[in-house]
Amino acid sequence: MKLKTSKSKDRKKKSDEKQKNILEMLKSHGAKVYDDLDNGQFPKFSIPSRSVSNIVYDKKLRQYILGNNSALRSSRNFAQLRSFTQLMWLAFFANKLTKEKKSSTLRDVYYSSQAFGVEFEDQGESDNIIVDLESVTSKPREDFHIFPEERSSIFGDLNIEYTIPGYEGKTMNLSNHPDGYSIGPSLTTAELVDTTAEIVIAIEKGGLFTRFVEEQVDKKFKSIIINTGGQAPRSTRTLLKRLHDEMRLPIIVLTDGDVYGEHIAMVIKSGSANAAHLRDLTVPDAKWVGVWATDIEKFKLPTIPMTESDIKRCYDLQKDPRYQDGIWKKELDVFLKIKRKAELEAFSKYGLTNITDKYLPQKLELAKSL
Amino acid sequence: MSSIKEQFNQISPSEFFYSNRDLAGFSNPTRSLYTAVREFVENALDACDQKGILPDVHLSIKAIDPDKPDPKPYILTVKDNGPGIDPVHIPLAFGTVLYGSKFGLKQARGMFGLGATMAILYGQITTNKPVIVKSSTDGETQDVFELLLDIKRNKPVIVKHTTKEISKKGLSVSICLEGDYSKAGIKIRDYVYQTSLITPYATITFDDPKGQKFSHPRFVKNIPPPPTIIRPHPHGIDVERIRRMIVESQFEIPSIDDAMIEKVRKDLGLSKKNLAFTAIMEKAKKKWKTLPRQVRVVIALMSFLKMDFEKLNKIKIEDIDMPNKKLFYWDFGDSQSKSIDMDPESLYYKQLTNTVQGEPLTTFLTKRLQRIGPTTAMKFAQFAKFKPEKRMGTMTNQELVNLSDALQKFDDFLAPDSSCLAPLGADPLEKGIKKFFNPDFTAVVQRPASAYSGFPFIIEMGIAYGGEIKSGGPHVYRFANRIPLLYDEGSDVVLKVVHDTDWGRYKIKGEPPFVIVSHICSTRIPYKTAGKENVADRPEIERELRLALQFLSRKLAAYMSKRGQAEMAKKRSNLYAKYIPMIAEFCTELAGKKKEPNYKKLLQEENSIQSKVKEENEIENQ
Repeated sequence: MKLKTSKSKDRKKKSDEKQKNILEMLKSHGAKVYDDLDNGQFPKFSIPSRSVSNIVYDKKLRQYILGNNSALRSSRNFAQLRSFTQLMWLAFFANKLTKEKKSSTLRDVYYSSQAFGVEFEDQGESDNIIVDLESVTSKPREDFHIFPEERSSIFGDLNIEYTIPGYEGKTMNLSNHPDGYSIGPSLTTAELVDTTAEIVIAIEKGGLFTRFVEEQVDKKFKSIIINTGGQAPRSTRTLLKRLHDEMRLPIIVLTDGDVYGEHIAMVIKSGSANAAHLRDLTVPDAKWVGVWATDIEKFKLPTIPMTESDIKRCYDLQKDPRYQDGIWKKELDVFLKIKRKAELEAFSKYGLTNITDKYLPQKLELAKSL
Repeated sequence: MSSIKEQFNQISPSEFFYSNRDLAGFSNPTRSLYTAVREFVENALDACDQKGILPDVHLSIKAIDPDKPDPKPYILTVKDNGPGIDPVHIPLAFGTVLYGSKFGLKQARGMFGLGATMAILYGQITTNKPVIVKSSTDGETQDVFELLLDIKRNKPVIVKHTTKEISKKGLSVSICLEGDYSKAGIKIRDYVYQTSLITPYATITFDDPKGQKFSHPRFVKNIPPPPTIIRPHPHGIDVERIRRMIVESQFEIPSIDDAMIEKVRKDLGLSKKNLAFTAIMEKAKKKWKTLPRQVRVVIALMSFLKMDFEKLNKIKIEDIDMPNKKLFYWDFGDSQSKSIDMDPESLYYKQLTNTVQGEPLTTFLTKRLQRIGPTTAMKFAQFAKFKPEKRMGTMTNQELVNLSDALQKFDDFLAPDSSCLAPLGADPLEKGIKKFFNPDFTAVVQRPASAYSGFPFIIEMGIAYGGEIKSGGPHVYRFANRIPLLYDEGSDVVLKVVHDTDWGRYKIKGEPPFVIVSHICSTRIPYKTAGKENVADRPEIERELRLALQFLSRKLAAYMSKRGQAEMAKKRSNLYAKYIPMIAEFCTELAGKKKEPNYKKLLQEENSIQSKVKEENEIENQ
């Protein structure tokens, strides 16, 4: 680890700035509630509605966003009093986390609440309140130092500088450990210093991620490899966005050749309806390079038949405004036509390195023209 | 060829019941012990009710050999503070089947007093021990009888009769019978408990075979008004009943013997005097109003015979042929039958007609049945196509059937008189329910009298909710004529009505802590079986039960919604009290303040709203 004193001060300032903004916002919400109580009024919040009818697709932003409907959550309303209190507690807890620069998981939040006499029925309920806080503040939970369980990882020549307490200013090169680094709070909040990579390859599966590292895809193709572990978690999507925006790296996505894989790529590109209340989680320029439905025939991949739910998913996605043109529509139609799917591992039929030696170079070439 | 000789034997009522004891509820040791308890307790209560005495009834059951397994012999004793029974009647009353004192038409627990004799009979069959009856009618001397029943002859056998001095009036009956208390115990305790609920003016104590004492002191000091005995309602009688009433209304032609003549002379004030025929008639005319019916009949006969006492002594009346207006008599002097014509215009003719042919239809209706006036009687005669002056005694069997049918079909009779009923009354019922169940809510209703098939009835019902009542309701307590009904509840009309009710409509859900007390009072409860445990579903009774239950359910629903509001308000206030301080704590920290906001105002306001709601409820409930 190297210490770069000159630049690190700047970065510290930047991260302090962000923290200050968050704290200010929480404080202003708290002050409003405080004043209401002091004046003998029942405090209340306005929360953007997350009901299906209020989720709309914004063509300009190329993602789903919430419409103008909002719901009032009042502490006077008997049915909302409990969730109001939970929300207040969460803001209080987030405030504490942010101030103390401590991170916490969704599960942590569920358990921490009990120390304050705030009960959640189950983690589902507490997760829901976290989304409420995101909606009210329009900030992702990661900004409040609340992270999901980790399952995604990163590998490649990328230098970072930590900002979390106890590691401030320390740097790290992410190609030092062949198993990759898990994408957690410290990595997500770290400053991205520099890289020799020219592209980011996001891959759906851990097994392929390991293969790519073994085959030195990072060196051969000057790339950073990210394992999304299925549907990319929001911390991973945040990191992808930062790699694209801050390091100017193009992002390509490689998934299984099925409708779910196609949608994993789409979520990285333009977000999900679940996160319609949040911005800055999408990489509109991200490219899905495979495995396409058309690749199945082209590369003569062994296939398995689509299940009922696969087919239903295809029909559902056909209604999605994002699947109305381009390869998204084309590949979806082909999936529906052949009613078969192929996994990334299918390339192993032609040798274990077939995917890195033959398929990947073709796709990388193709990506340039997409 | 041998002829088949059939034998017809007449059996006594005792023999009949002996062979059909299942009918009366003596089918097995469990049921029999329970039925015996019921019969004696109910007789004791009825006796006290009739004399307006606040009943003290003491029941005790003791095992003769406690170590023996059930079923085994028990001594059952029931003691009351009632009027006692005249020692003259005791052997017959307790030693004969079908000897009863309750044959009148009014509401009582038992109909004829048969059950007690049945219990005695059952005891004697199973243990061969006599019944011991101790009775005092004056509170000074007590007659003690030991009796056995002669089943074949339906006659009492007095084993022992003694008298002793005593300081209290009342009756005590003690029998020995085969029973199973381990099985019947629950029902007997339930019976005693429920009887004290429906008889709040009685003190009932029970010493059970295990040495436990159950005491239910009276908590109402007034006996409800006693019922009066009344005439039957036209809708409630049948051919047989009419026939019996005609017999009661008719008088036989007195046989004119020496004793009769002596009586007539005495009543006319002519014991020592011999007067001629015309003078006798004169005298009779003057004294007519004071003369008894029999004497009047004799005078009427004399008026047609134109005889004085001397001559009257020498004849015998053979026949009075009213349609042909002829009087036949046997003359002892001439030794031959003679006849004379009667003058239909004579007043004496009417007297004879009344006697021989009974009353005219209209008189019969107004005098013998309830709620019929002369106008209704005339209307009815027209409806039934009878001449109003049709003599009851001249009716043929077919005419009697027609009359009975017409009585059933005629709709213009007033509803039956309910003065023969003795409902408990809403107040004592409510007191009882409150005392026994200690509920949060009670409502009671007494429906106006109604009738089925000419029998008047009144429904009393109470409903109770919450408090100490166990959940899993509605728990239904059924009573009929102040008797708890414990067995065979599945087929009872009250339960049918309760089960038909959609309780959700009345805001009652799940397994509510909820009690229904139903009391049917009638001169005749339409029991499905002789065991008197379940009431048949007569549409009129079902309707009244339904109306009573609906009325109470609406009251309960009103209470429930109030209760719901109050609970809601309380819950709200509790929730505010729980959560608002938390919100205050969190926002103080968030806003970076040192002192918590003054949220007490907010909570106080909420509390005052809540207590207002509560007050309103309490006022409503009072």
